[in-house]
Amino acid sequence: MPIVALPDASLTVWRGKDVLQFIDGLSTNKVTELKSGQLIRTIFTDSNAKIIDCVTLFHMDEYIVVAGHLPFHEKLLEHASKRILGQDVSITDITQLNELFIEFGCKNDSADVGAFSSEGEITRGNISGNMSLIVSSKGKGPSNLENFEIFNQWRIDNKIPWHGFEITDSFHPFACGLEELVHQQKGCYIGQEILARMRSRGRQGKVLSQVDTLDCKSSNITTLGEIQSLAIIRT
Amino acid sequence: MDCGPCDSADPIQMVKPEVIDVNLTISETAKNMLSDAFGDDRSHALLVGVLSGGCSGYMYDLQIVETTDIDCQELSIDGFRVLVPNASSHLLDGIEIDYVEKLMGGGFKINNPNADSSCGCGESFS
Repeated sequence: MPIVALPDASLTVWRGKDVLQFIDGLSTNKVTELKSGQLIRTIFTDSNAKIIDCVTLFHMDEYIVVAGHLPFHEKLLEHASKRILGQDVSITDITQLNELFIEFGCKNDSADVGAFSSEGEITRGNISGNMSLIVSSKGKGPSNLENFEIFNQWRIDNKIPWHGFEITDSFHPFACGLEELVHQQKGCYIGQEILARMRSRGRQGKVLSQVDTLDCKSSNITTLGEIQSLAIIRT
Repeated sequence: MDCGPCDSADPIQMVKPEVIDVNLTISETAKNMLSDAFGDDRSHALLVGVLSGGCSGYMYDLQIVETTDIDCQELSIDGFRVLVPNASSHLLDGIEIDYVEKLMGGGFKINNPNADSSCGCGESFS
């Protein structure tokens, strides 16, 4: 399956006995039940339910590795660090030691979604039925990489939002098509009241859509394709 | 994945707020409830802490404890021992601990002059 490099990905190690509870209190998905060998995606949101960063958590047994988006990295660390207070949480940056890739168009077995495995210096996790996140030590990653434009075209065809395109701090998770990362039953977190209200009233304002490139207002287009594009538009 | 320095590398420096000497008050209704809870045994203390989370970012955490491993400052207010963790002292200076008698949503409440906003249930603030 084709693979693209993610040069603007960040990677941090979060340690301490309170880490999962801490992340759970600040993000949209229920992460407290994550077990060793599993991964989960979750979204840190601000008090207006706007996205700070959408991350993937890898439970590495003794610590949690958090894969995020480099342009949002500082904001996420600032958001998290001032809330650690007396909790047992510490964060180490390992971005410079690793490279991240996305394998797309996969046919991951549904039972394997949310699991990861490590072989040598490469860790591969199935983040969805058709995408896997690969983390490798610097210089040890896969070769024969695809152009990012091909990944973007595939995203347009499959209506998949991505960091820096649809997933930005201008939108809330529902607007950019990340509903499945907003857990319906979990307790409070920052932004939860707004998201719960949107969901209960069935009103979320803007939504991620596939649009005909020539028919859509260019300012609404988030990922530009030749014939079709992705856009976040009011319903 | 290379986590080589995970064990040895220094963690990212986190924002460490200044520790301040906390002043707080307890309303008469809250004192009455605390008297009922403690009885004559004043060896226990009321731990007033803050955890991350909640709709607004921080959540109050009230506990009755005898001792704690948390680095705290101890206050004596009308015969009650009150412990405030130093890590959250900047968020708790000036608060009033109140008790509200209501069938729904009643109980201990914190009136906090440092809070810009609070969530509907009153347990969370920012």
